[in-house]
Parts: sequence; structure tokens; C-alpha cells
Amino acid sequence: MATVLRSLTYRGIPVWRHVKVIQWAIQIVSGIAVVALVVWFFSNIGNAIQERDIPYGFGFLDREYQTPIGQHFLPYESSDTFLYAFVVAFTNTLIVSVVGVVLATGLGILIGVARMSSNWIVSKVSLAYIEFFRNVPLLVQLFFWFYIVLALPPVREGYVVADRLYVNNSGLTIPGVSASSLAAALAWLGLATIAVVAAVVTYRWLAGREIRTGAASYPLLVGCATAVVIGLIGWVAVGAVSGGAPFTPSIPEPEGAFGRISGGFTVAGGLVALLAGLVMYTAAFIAEIVRAGIQSVGRGQSEAARALGLSGMGVLRHVTFPQALRVIVPPLISQYLNLTKNSSLAGAIGYSDLTNIAKTMTQTAPAVSIFLLIMVIYLALSLTYSLIGNLYNRAIRF
Amino acid sequence: MAAKFETDFGQVLPPPRSQQGVTGWVRANLLSTWYNGVLTVMSAAVLGAALWVGVRWLIFDSDWTVIGTLGGQLVIGQYNIESACPGQNCFWRPQVSLLLVTALLGMAWRVAGGGLTKRIAIGVAVAVSAFALLPYSMERMGMDVRLLLLANLLVLGVGWAIGRYTPLGTARWATVSAVGVFVVIVLLLRGVPGIPGLEPVSVIYWGGLMLNLLLAVAGITLSLPIGVALALGRRSRLPVVKVLCITFIEIFRGVPLITLLLMSQVLVPLAFPEDFPQNSLFRAAVVITLFSSAYMAENIRGGLQALDPGQAEAARALGLPGWQTMFLISLPQAIRNVIPAIVGQFISLFKDTSLVYIIGVLDVVEFGRAFIQGNTEYLASAKELYIFLALVFWVFTYGMSYVSRRIEQHLGVGER
Repeated sequence: MATVLRSLTYRGIPVWRHVKVIQWAIQIVSGIAVVALVVWFFSNIGNAIQERDIPYGFGFLDREYQTPIGQHFLPYESSDTFLYAFVVAFTNTLIVSVVGVVLATGLGILIGVARMSSNWIVSKVSLAYIEFFRNVPLLVQLFFWFYIVLALPPVREGYVVADRLYVNNSGLTIPGVSASSLAAALAWLGLATIAVVAAVVTYRWLAGREIRTGAASYPLLVGCATAVVIGLIGWVAVGAVSGGAPFTPSIPEPEGAFGRISGGFTVAGGLVALLAGLVMYTAAFIAEIVRAGIQSVGRGQSEAARALGLSGMGVLRHVTFPQALRVIVPPLISQYLNLTKNSSLAGAIGYSDLTNIAKTMTQTAPAVSIFLLIMVIYLALSLTYSLIGNLYNRAIRF
Repeated sequence: MAAKFETDFGQVLPPPRSQQGVTGWVRANLLSTWYNGVLTVMSAAVLGAALWVGVRWLIFDSDWTVIGTLGGQLVIGQYNIESACPGQNCFWRPQVSLLLVTALLGMAWRVAGGGLTKRIAIGVAVAVSAFALLPYSMERMGMDVRLLLLANLLVLGVGWAIGRYTPLGTARWATVSAVGVFVVIVLLLRGVPGIPGLEPVSVIYWGGLMLNLLLAVAGITLSLPIGVALALGRRSRLPVVKVLCITFIEIFRGVPLITLLLMSQVLVPLAFPEDFPQNSLFRAAVVITLFSSAYMAENIRGGLQALDPGQAEAARALGLPGWQTMFLISLPQAIRNVIPAIVGQFISLFKDTSLVYIIGVLDVVEFGRAFIQGNTEYLASAKELYIFLALVFWVFTYGMSYVSRRIEQHLGVGER
């Protein structure tokens, strides 16, 4: 007995009360429990799939989807495959996400700055905006905007702004560009990318020289000029080779007996409502983030900068804003993510985003595989945003 | 001469006229610089125009009959329709649930000793009983319904008296009663087989604001402890626990709630035998709670990270064991520091309860939308309906953020 007890003690502590033993026991037990739960869950699903003859696997991806998609930004026909339909759906979500993020950031910064204005009316109006829009469910706001879009007059009696903007119950038509040929368009877009990269390189080099030598080098001006010059040369060159400008402007014009609009770029009603709702909702959160960020920079910072002789704009650009950014960026990234995830509400107002199309797909294809796919896609999207955000965050840290 | 100087310096002169009263306020807040003046004129013009249009619409063009037509259905959804509870009137069950909540509020008023709780309790009871005076006909809204609504005032007093004259009037017993009341309400609404008058009502008929509130209360109560556990797990030194918690948090934060809800309806039933009793609403409640606790965990982790490590070190130096250090020293301070974020998450959970439309139950938003879709003569009233729904949600969410600010003031956050 005594030997057994001695072998079960460590420096006088019984084994079952030893910290290391308890820790490892907790880890092993919780690990086994979770693994068992996951295995149980998926093996049950696997059994159910076999017993109830539920289709499974990813073979469906090569089949034809055979269902129309409302608005799509990539060319799409009903005879395209499921795989391609996924790509189209993902593009739809991505475009809402990117456009929404840009617009919401602009509006959010505007309202956040207005909230801090010393002007009483401006400050109170933006407070009212923030308190209202972030406290009402996004779904209610989306339904409201969708109703407003549906209640607009039909195409023939729609509103026309300066012969360029057409607003009616089928959506919003704005001037766009149309590519003369795919090869020429891609060639010029490639050159444009090179132009931007060259501009950034030039800017960095000149800015570095300015800091090193103190001689005025105009990095912003020269950088922009580089981009414009390379872009223009590319435009002319591509035009000379392909016999016409790579892009031509496309102005919407009413046409025909029913006043149908030809040309331009039409944003469907569902997408207009979705963007309006998402942008106004997210902007309210971004405004609070911007305000908190700017207020987090101590007053002494801007006072000291003023005392050193910086102008009002210079204080903002070189002292307040860089410090505020460090506080602003992490929550801002999570708002961008929220906007992207919230775009999955699009189905409720008839825009075909990833979740909505996946939901429709489950009627003709294995639901298990589809859900696994969209889960992976959303997780990948989230991680990409986080990665970009973290890289940027690292770049602006001191 | 010296005496005169003394009086001059000793006198406290009022600030100049231009810096006080209405003139001073206008100068400081509206006309401090020339561009501020321009901004004032422009924003006042825009605001005035917007108000003019809005008020004109409100008085002359708006038509709120759709709210009156929906009436109590906005609160209970389809709970009282014939196929939900055949051959009987089930309206009393949500109403008794409401009475239980009011009694609880009365008890909380007594336990908290007045102040904000008192105002909330009285406000809720008065507002609810005021619905008894709605100008509906007696066929539409019976005397029994009205009396049960008015009874809220009485029950508030009963709850207060329970707190005052029985040994139940302590914070601990009030918490126990709150949990008990929630269980009783769920049983009451769900029904108990075999008891006459309490025939089961399938959860697919639960709906209206009642459903949003039930989901929100269940989610809020459970997501905080689960979130604390996940946050502690993520900060744990045990690698297995840490990896499990991180995986859970990142999966639930990376996928939209609506996708998770859809999956819970399609995938989860497959994992159970076909004859296993399935409850779509329960699954939705679990998903909403887990989704919210993943976000909660990150908020609490933020609070823990911001805490001065000296706090925990001092506690350990005083001889407190690890778990006491965590639960008596670190966590209370961490949670206190992130109250705004936690309440923000509660608000977001309450707003997210409107997403249950995806599983086919009619919460207050979906009920209104489905009604408009089914009765096209009300199509033009959709904007009034959505504005009304927005205001209903706003009252609750703004109330929550107001209470959180008061709690923060009470705890002196940012003052110590």
C-alpha cells in the first residue's frame, strides 16, 4: 500500500492533485470529447446520406446549373456549369463587398468628422444618424430601401438627371465604359497596372530623397504624372495596334416605344437597395470608430505640433491622423468583414449573392457539399480581409 | 487708493454679455468662425427642408392603418390562429407570460432599491397596460384581453410586495426567479401534453415580437458565460484547449449568421435519427447563441488583454489561487472595461433575431413582410410598416445602450 501511494506522489503531492497531471488530463479529455463529437456528427451525416439516398460528393460541379441568375457581373448563361455559377455568385458578393466598403468608408469618415464638429446642428444631426441607423436591424432597413426602389416610377416615367443618370423601378443606369475588344482591353489594363506600380515606385524614391536631402522633390506630383504619362502612351499604342481606343464611353439613352434604356451600366433595383442599406448601416459604425480614433490622440499632440509651426492641415496629416489610424484600423477591418457577411441578407431583397444562389442550388444539388463549399469560401474571404488588414496595420505601426 | 484696488480685484464680474445666455450659446456653437456660420446656414436649410417634407408626409400623406390591422399579431404572430391551437383561445398564454415578466420587474425594483430599475419597471407596466385602452371594437379586442393587460399594473405591485415582505427579496433569489420565470414562460408557450388548457403549440407558430424577445433573452443570458469560457480558453496555456477555442471562434466569426442558420436547418437534422424529435426554432436559438458567444469571447479577450498584469500578480502574491485570481480580480475588471462592447454585442444579437426568417418562422419583421406580400392592397403602406418596425427595434436597442451607459457611470468606468 505504502509503495503504491509513494509511486503516486510527487514530492509529497498526490498525483491527482498535481498541476501538470490535471492540465494534461483536461487537455486529453477535452480533445477526445471534441474529436468524438465531430466524428459522431459527420459519421451520422454520412450514414444518413447513404441510408436515405441523399446525393453527395462534388460531381455536380460539372453539371449544367440550368437556373437563371438575376444580376451578374460576369457573362452567364443557364447552360453554364455549377462550378462557374459559384464563380459568378462569388463575384456578385465580392463586388457588393468592395463597392460597399469604399462607399461606407467615405460616408463613415464624413459623419464621424461631422460628429466632432464644433457646429451644434451638424454635430447633433450626425449623432441622430448614428443612433438611428446602427440601432435598427439591417433587414428592416433593406426592406425599406427595397420598397422605396419598387415604388419608383416605371422606366418610361423614371427620373432623368442631366441626361446621364436614369433612376426608375428597375434600378439605376449610369454612364459606363464598353471595351472595343477583349484583347485590347486586357492589354491596356495590364499597362495601367504597370503605370500604377511605376508611380508608386517613383513616389517612394522621391519621398525618400526629400527626407534624406531636404531638397524639394514633389513626390506626389511626379508620381501622378508618371502614371498618367505611361497610361496615355499605352492608350495610344494599344489604339494604334488594334485600330481603335481600347475603351469607349457608353452613355445611356432612351430608345424604342417603351422607353427602354440602351447603353450605360444598369445597377439592378435589388443591388441599389442592398448597397444603400449596407452602406448607411455600416457607415454609422465606422463613424463611431473614426471619432473614437481621433479622440484617442491626446490634445497635447496637436498642441505641440501647432507650437512647432505646423499648419492646421499639416497637424492633421502628419501628427493626428497617423496616430489615430493605429486605433482606427483594427475595428475598421472587422466592420469591412461585417459588411461582407451582412451582404448575405441580399437574398431577402432579390439580389443573387453567394448565400442566395447556394440556397437555390440546394434544390438540385447535394446540400452538404454546397454548404461545405460556401463555408470555405466565406472563411477564405474573412481570412484574406484579416490578412490585408494585419499587413496594413503592421505597416503603419511605429 | 489701496482700498479701491481691493474692491476692484475682490469683485467677481460676470462674463461679458456676448459669452453668456442665448447669444453666447449661439456664438460658441453656431457662429464661432465664418465657415461655421456658413455651415450653420446650410445645414439648417437642409434640415428645415427635410423636416418640412417629413412633417407634411406624417400629417397629410402617411397611412398607418396597416399597423392597426396587424395589431396584436405583431406581438404574438400566428400564435393564436386556429391551426396553432385548435378549438381554444391561446391568447392568455403570452399575456400571462407578460404578467410574469412584470412581476419580476416589480421584484427587481424592490431589490435594486429604486432608481433606474424603478423607472423601467413602472414605465413598462404603464406602457403595456395602456394598450388595454386601444380604440379597437370589443369583438376585435375582448374584455378579457384588456383586463389581462391592465392586470400588469396590479402584478407590478405584487412583485414589489414579494420583494418587500417575503425572504425572496434578495439579488440571489431575484436571479433564481428570473431563470424560473423564463422556464415557466417557455413551458407555458410550448404547452404541456396532457394538461387541459395547455395543449402543445408547435414552435412554427411562435412569432412576432415575442419570438424576437425570447430568442434575444435566451441568447444574451447564455452567450456571456459561453463567451467568457471561450475567451479564457483562448488565453489558456494548454495548447489543445487553446486550438479548440480558436477554431470555434474563427469558424463562427468567419461565416455569416444566415449561412450558419441555413446549415443548421439542412445539415444538423441529418446527424440525428429520422424519428428524433426535431425543433427548428431550438436549433436556430443555439446557432444564434453560439454565433454571439464567439464575438463575445473576442470582446472579453480584449478586456483581459488591456488589464494591467500587476493586478493578477498582486492577487497571486496575496496567496489567491489561480481560479480565484481570475474570477474575483481579473474578470470583473476586464468585463467592466468592455461593457460598451458587450452591450453592443447584446444589441447586435437582438437585431440578428430578425434573421430567423430564413428558417421559416414569422418573427415581427417577417410577419409584417409576409402580410404585405399576401395583402397587396397594403403594398403602399409598406414604408409605414417598416418605419414602425424600425422604431420598435430602436426603442429596445436604444434602451439597452442607455442602461449600459448608466451602469458604466454607476461603476465609475474611466474615473478610477
